[in-house]
Amino acid sequence: MGEKNITIVDYGMGNVWSVFSALKFLGAKPKLVSDAEKISKSGILVLPGVGSFKKGMEALKSRGLDEALIDAVKTKGSRILGICLGMQLMGSVGTEGGETLGLGFFPNRIERFTPQELGENKAPHVGFNPVRFNERNGLFNELSLESDFYFTHSYRMLPEKIVGRYGTCFYGINFLAAFELDNICGTQFHPEKSQTNGLILLRNFLMA
Amino acid sequence: MLSRNFRLQKVGNLNWLQKNYNFSQIAFSIDELVVLNVSRGEYDEEKFFEHVRLLNEECFIPIAAGGGIRTLNQARKLLRSGADKITVNTLIAEAPDIICQIAEEFGEQCVVASIDVKKVENTFTIWTENGFCRQKKNLEQWLDRVFKLPVGELYLNSIDQDGTGHGYMMELLDYIPPTVSIPVILAGGAGNHHHLSVGLNDPRIDAVATAHLFNFVGDGLEKARSKLFTEGFNLAKWDAQKAKDLKESVN
Repeated sequence: MGEKNITIVDYGMGNVWSVFSALKFLGAKPKLVSDAEKISKSGILVLPGVGSFKKGMEALKSRGLDEALIDAVKTKGSRILGICLGMQLMGSVGTEGGETLGLGFFPNRIERFTPQELGENKAPHVGFNPVRFNERNGLFNELSLESDFYFTHSYRMLPEKIVGRYGTCFYGINFLAAFELDNICGTQFHPEKSQTNGLILLRNFLMA
Repeated sequence: MLSRNFRLQKVGNLNWLQKNYNFSQIAFSIDELVVLNVSRGEYDEEKFFEHVRLLNEECFIPIAAGGGIRTLNQARKLLRSGADKITVNTLIAEAPDIICQIAEEFGEQCVVASIDVKKVENTFTIWTENGFCRQKKNLEQWLDRVFKLPVGELYLNSIDQDGTGHGYMMELLDYIPPTVSIPVILAGGAGNHHHLSVGLNDPRIDAVATAHLFNFVGDGLEKARSKLFTEGFNLAKWDAQKAKDLKESVN
């Protein structure tokens, strides 16, 4: 397969440096890119992100990256991994900071943990927590069916109508923690901050 | 238990750690890392940020970093260097408004309030500026101030116990009101796995931190962690050895 050229989408939201370091550790050749044309031509993309949904979409749009990503992923079939806010932005609608349309790669909505769901739990949900996967193939190859990953978030997607490979985490309610549907992958947790488990998942993403 | 962490702090520079104690191996025995810049003399922030960047290259866990952070812009740069959280200590005394600014931009979960406590004539006193400056308020009053600030975690360190290896100052926990809902990390004094176990067994604690040298000699920390597993603590699991095989594996 040769060297893995990975494009990390740099749109000013989040810890690109940690993602860069983890991919480099695995032997990939990641590049931080904020140019729309380059992104639309990339074969493998990582969309990281920390921050609010609305600001995230605005940051993508102001650089023309929303259309570039749709072109790469939906038209050209490029492989993408969205991490944390990056995964949320690939959904249909976000409610953080006002209702905002996402990239729409899959239909799920992104909403805050409700007080009923939280019960005595606190928001944000921060720390290592186990994720249960429905299978141990593809993105989840070599991971235990229940594996610990690091989370930090207040908004979540529910696993409604989700098909393909996925993992859920329980925090007052079962929410969608990770999924893989054809060329589109997402993790609500931070694989770049989840020790060996995260490195295994990133390796799986790169090797597909 | 939300955050189940061991933490390391103040042991010297990164190259020294890597060379003498194979730090990247140790890093696979912890859930989270606290990096505190306690350099005396002129503060070289760029150098500290660079250290945090380097830590990210071999260390795939959340990093809380701080020490000498006085402005929102410094916090921003530290986060861009790969830190996930900012620890604040002197800012609590001198500029709580900066803490509010950091929380507003990055969220409360991003701010860790660190408190250095020292027992003086039967009173728990508060020390800032690396333990050089005594505050007028006592621990109870200080906690009252801290819990009014937008912080996501509390890092409570006993100056008396720190570095002794004689165990944590568990009494400090008596001062935390039961209504407090943010995670509490106890630091200062752990010298063996039993101390970690005592700490984690206390329901008022969410995480224990350790900076004692026992962790850096051979496989001390790895063994301590595995003993805690045997005792039934619900710690996060991963295969520490596997990470070595993953290095450069996609080439």
